[in-house]
Amino acid sequence: MRRVMVSVVVVMLASFGVASAAPAGKVTILCSPNPPWCDAVKAEFPKATGIALEFLRLSSGEALARLRAERQNPSFDVWFGGTGDPHVVANEDGLTEIYRPRAWDDLRPELREAVAGKYIPLYAGILGWAINERLLKEKGLPVPRTWLELADPKYKGLIAHPNPNTSGTGYTLIATLVQIYGEQEAFELLKRIHRNIAEYTRSGPAPALLAGRGEVAIGITFVHDALDHVLKGFPIVYGAPRDGTGYEIGGLSLIKATPNRVNAIAFIEWALTPAAQVLNAERGESYQIPSNTKTPVPRIIPRFQDFKVIKYDFLKYGRAAVRDGLVQKWTREISTLPK
Amino acid sequence: MARTLSVPVARPAPNITLLTWGGIALCSALLLPWFRQGREIFSFLPAAMGLVLLRDSPWVIGVVILATLAVTVALLPRGEAERGRGALAVGALGLLLTTGELHLAGRPFGVGAAIVVLSFLAVLGTGLALSGMLRVDAFLAGSVLWMSAFVFIFILFPLWTVLKASVVVDGRLTLGFVEATLRAPNFLLVNNPATPRNETQIAALVGVTAGVLVGGALVVAGRRWRAVAWGIAVSTGTFVLAALYLGFGAVRNSVLLAIAVGVVSTALGFLFALLSERSRLPTRRLLGPFSILPIITPPFVLGLAMIFLFGRRGFITYQVLGISTNIFFGPLGVAIAQILAYTPIAYLVLQGVVQAMDASMEEAAETLGASRWHTLRTVTWPLARPGLANAFLLVAIESLADFGNPIIIGGGVPYLATEVFFAIIGRFNPNEAAVYGVGLLFLTLLIFFIQRRWIGRRFYVTVTGRPSAATPRPLPAWIDYGVSTIFLIWMALLIALYGSVFVGSVTKLWGFDYTFTLQHLRDLSPQGWQVFRTSAKLSAYAAVPSVLVGFLIGYLVTRVDFPGRGALELSSMLSFAVPGTVMGIGYILAFNQGVLFLTGTEAIIILAFVFRNMPVGIRASVAAIQQIDRSLEEASTMLRANSVITLRRIVMPLVRSALFSGLTFSFVRAMTAVSQVIFLISAGTNLATTQLLSYVETGRLGRGAALASVLTLFMVAVILALYAMNRRLDTRAAEVVTA
Repeated sequence: MRRVMVSVVVVMLASFGVASAAPAGKVTILCSPNPPWCDAVKAEFPKATGIALEFLRLSSGEALARLRAERQNPSFDVWFGGTGDPHVVANEDGLTEIYRPRAWDDLRPELREAVAGKYIPLYAGILGWAINERLLKEKGLPVPRTWLELADPKYKGLIAHPNPNTSGTGYTLIATLVQIYGEQEAFELLKRIHRNIAEYTRSGPAPALLAGRGEVAIGITFVHDALDHVLKGFPIVYGAPRDGTGYEIGGLSLIKATPNRVNAIAFIEWALTPAAQVLNAERGESYQIPSNTKTPVPRIIPRFQDFKVIKYDFLKYGRAAVRDGLVQKWTREISTLPK
Repeated sequence: MARTLSVPVARPAPNITLLTWGGIALCSALLLPWFRQGREIFSFLPAAMGLVLLRDSPWVIGVVILATLAVTVALLPRGEAERGRGALAVGALGLLLTTGELHLAGRPFGVGAAIVVLSFLAVLGTGLALSGMLRVDAFLAGSVLWMSAFVFIFILFPLWTVLKASVVVDGRLTLGFVEATLRAPNFLLVNNPATPRNETQIAALVGVTAGVLVGGALVVAGRRWRAVAWGIAVSTGTFVLAALYLGFGAVRNSVLLAIAVGVVSTALGFLFALLSERSRLPTRRLLGPFSILPIITPPFVLGLAMIFLFGRRGFITYQVLGISTNIFFGPLGVAIAQILAYTPIAYLVLQGVVQAMDASMEEAAETLGASRWHTLRTVTWPLARPGLANAFLLVAIESLADFGNPIIIGGGVPYLATEVFFAIIGRFNPNEAAVYGVGLLFLTLLIFFIQRRWIGRRFYVTVTGRPSAATPRPLPAWIDYGVSTIFLIWMALLIALYGSVFVGSVTKLWGFDYTFTLQHLRDLSPQGWQVFRTSAKLSAYAAVPSVLVGFLIGYLVTRVDFPGRGALELSSMLSFAVPGTVMGIGYILAFNQGVLFLTGTEAIIILAFVFRNMPVGIRASVAAIQQIDRSLEEASTMLRANSVITLRRIVMPLVRSALFSGLTFSFVRAMTAVSQVIFLISAGTNLATTQLLSYVETGRLGRGAALASVLTLFMVAVILALYAMNRRLDTRAAEVVTA
């Protein structure tokens, strides 16, 4: 009688035994950029350091939620990439700790100053849109020039933007509009744009793809994500509104109280080397401006001087109260409106 | 279950069962860790050993003493009943002390503590059997306790946590959160203030009109009393549907979707079942493979394929027909993808029903002079009704819980399953997620209730064991050809959809640049392959326990009489009926901290698979065991075999085929699962399905198609291999029997 019971126990325990055996020398990453970039990091980091790497790709809003959920028992060592505001929130929540990497002085000073040491700048990217001119031409519509023009009813069903609940890009859009027009006017504008929205996407780069495939004509996203789809051969162009646009400083954060600190720091140092920072454009299908001044910037990458970039207040709009308040207000007041 | 005959002996030998479990409890309590620090379940902290804890925990001292007592009871030369009472006391107290220690310390449990709990349960079970309180032997009594403990911890406790989280916020009981969420327009908005019309009024008008029309028609037909009842029922139903249709929010979308998908899939499934059982055309042979395909791939692969074929730049919509539309992005597209994915479920349920419908009854009706229509209405329909209701229920629940399709092609419209996801994964608001989860649970139970009411207690037994003289009657030719045509269209659509995924995996840029490339497949290295391996590994680990646990529970509830049998059966089936999304947040909320801390481990994913798929094993073994004559087991018992030997030598060989298909099905369900595990994945435990979802969502359709193709091919290969193995086993068994 014991044999069956014992064999059940052995099978179950053996499963768990194999299941929870972890290799030594490993680092676990919460990865928020495009999946191909995460895939490339997973392939390259072990080659450079001999440390194995596991990652989970979550959009930055989701990544923040995951860190909050795991507050007592963090399972990640480093949070790699994603828009900066959630990195600031995480830092103020005590989820990440401030670490000054060796390459700190090589990082672009304007980025370093803007984040005030709340996290490590990994890259910068400008908010804009991907425009499918062919589709607009078919519909006999002009290319929009400002955020305000997006509210024009003639663009009905032709616009997509990311859901700020899950996507840092979506939040950057809302925070940008609030900084340009003030909160009340910005929400009025969002309400009018809402009537033209075909879809709120879960992740930040998705609207560029929708525009590329012609599902929508205007996909609000970061210009580097739009460029990715231009380079893939989609019939779109990228651009940004002339009434000003925001930008992001992609973050790199050390998770607080990780038991795996040594490897975590090894990863952070590696991620800031020029060799690692060219990965995004070369293999990661991502075209942000790398934060290390020593990294050569490919010519195709969109730069600040090409756009009217606002002075984005990362510290204010990265505050948990401000961020959660805006996201909740959007969810309650905008997302539920009929179209 | 007959008890083992006890033969009087001069001096009772030591009880081996009790000795073993007492010994295991003692060793684990002393030498294995009581708690762990991180996620590693098999970490051995010296400080967590019982030997160390003895110094300052009176609880641990108590546990060690009780374990020693269990060993003593086993060794002392006493009668069975006396030993049984001793074991009962020791087991119960030991359990109390162990859980007390774990609860008070509040640290994540260690291996040692888990084994100690299980051992004391076994001691308790042995006690119940020896003392005669349960009229079964020690193994079965222990199994009852173990299975009840598993079902309690991994099914009831997470559900309870969800219910609790919806009304207990920050430790205070409040309905405020429920109210706030329920009143949020995202949940349900019946009367939309932003539109000029008054939706409630329109819906009421439509409802009353429909009721009056139906009632009036019945009055004309001369059925006054039914007219009132039907009139009221129809107007309520129509009012609810109309209000939902005009309304807004997750409830509206999910419910309408579930109803539409349930009705269409059940109808199609029924037609296909008729085709497979009663057709004379060769098309019926194709039904098997094509009904399997959507089941062995994740449901949202069809969503992905819909983008390829019917999106704005879809191959069919744009390239062939030259139209540019995005109407398939939204509830319509989700409905089509779900219908394609879930019709096979309805078909498989209804195939059995159509098979079981004895044609001789229809013949009898017609011999008695009934018209075709009358036969259909009074004979065929009542026979088919329970099966139809069952199919509808299964499909509607799958549709409610489905997560992948709404997120890929849902057009950003709220659905209950996605709102649960956003609330916890996007905002980490457990209370809000719990409220949505309870809403989903409520709807599922409502459908369940309606189904039960509709079938009523009417059951028609047509399988009597006596051979039926009548051969299945072939379908009339026009129906045969009509249904075959529908099936061929369905098949063509399926081929086109899966084909587009395969082609998409080697196409440079679908919709724009159809050049051949292997780049997407190369890009699967290393992450794509790793998640694929993880999925296969965890699903394989989960398959065996889920079938074993399912088989044991199935055996216990059919053959063993014990108090709480009905409760065990009901609660173990619960995990099948509850949408995966709800179970998912239940697992996050229940196992995220404290003694049962498990999130972020592979163990939690395996456990989720095991207890989600266990009902498959239960159903399969209950059905198989009921066909075995009890006298076989009784004979085995008479010959002084204990229940383990009876189970292994008699029952398991007879139900092997059912167990094997249960194994296959558990594996398949685990490989294609999304809605529950999406809440549980972590860096090392990312699965193929969730990674695929991530590729598709961020627009890496090529890479997504590559992963989906690999997954589909792998599943087809696995199914074929298992099928071949099962056939070889069957022929071997036949040889043994004939030899």
